[in-house]
Amino acid sequence: MRDKVLARPLELDPFSGDRARLENALSRRVNADPESVERGLAQLVLTIVELLRQIMERQALRRIDGGSLSEEQVERLGQTFMELDRRMEELTQEFGLTAEDLNLDLGPLGRLL
Amino acid sequence: MLYARTQRREVTLDAVWRHEELIEALMESRDLLPVRFGTLVSEERAAARAVAERAPQLAASLERVRGAVELAVRAHPREPDRRGYRPGESGREYMSAKARRVEAARLVHEPLALVARDSVVQQGPELLRAAYLVDRGAVESFVSMVQRVQRAHAELDVLCTGPWPPYSFAEGGVSS
Repeated sequence: MRDKVLARPLELDPFSGDRARLENALSRRVNADPESVERGLAQLVLTIVELLRQIMERQALRRIDGGSLSEEQVERLGQTFMELDRRMEELTQEFGLTAEDLNLDLGPLGRLL
Repeated sequence: MLYARTQRREVTLDAVWRHEELIEALMESRDLLPVRFGTLVSEERAAARAVAERAPQLAASLERVRGAVELAVRAHPREPDRRGYRPGESGREYMSAKARRVEAARLVHEPLALVARDSVVQQGPELLRAAYLVDRGAVESFVSMVQRVQRAHAELDVLCTGPWPPYSFAEGGVSS
């Protein structure tokens, strides 16, 4: 295979997580086990939560940008999203999922997120 | 239409790369719509039927990617990744960090999208993960633009790879 890198930074380490992710994805497809049913359900539920989180976050950023919120309201919003972020990270890890798993390929409709 | 008889159903990294190498070799001399690795149909006629049923969509998709290749761009912030929360961070700081990420991703994506025929921003752990459909003759100027963006944003690491088969733009593909 030819070198596929067209333009690169000095440091490539931050990008090296993909190989492990590819290998995980492959082994997950082959080794179907009872746990994978539970994980599949968790993946679906977390995907929907992640979709809502992103929509709400975008909305919140627009409102902050618009200047219609008080300092206290911004702080409360931030705390809420931070807590949600933390919980999502815990849950995805618990089910052996990655950020990329929290997306649905809807075929001709494209990807959900 | 190109397909192969299944010999083994094993999905290994090697098999995925062989599939990719074959598609890329074909891609050098023609335009094509790649099908996802491991797409199975029961027999030869089923493969022909699957293509015939979607002929109009496939023809439209092929027109969309004709004369172009896919280039992938990913960008990471050079500072420790600020995707998540930081202990002790205030709510306001957290939201400002989010806003900065959205803005940084936009500043990388927009100039690149202008040089590309089409583009799609994808979900991923990076600040920006996107695919660009670029005319074969414009790959060099696209890469120059990536380098310009990189120079303008020393706080980011920008990686550009390709040319890839236009997976991200091959909608209406055959699925089994």
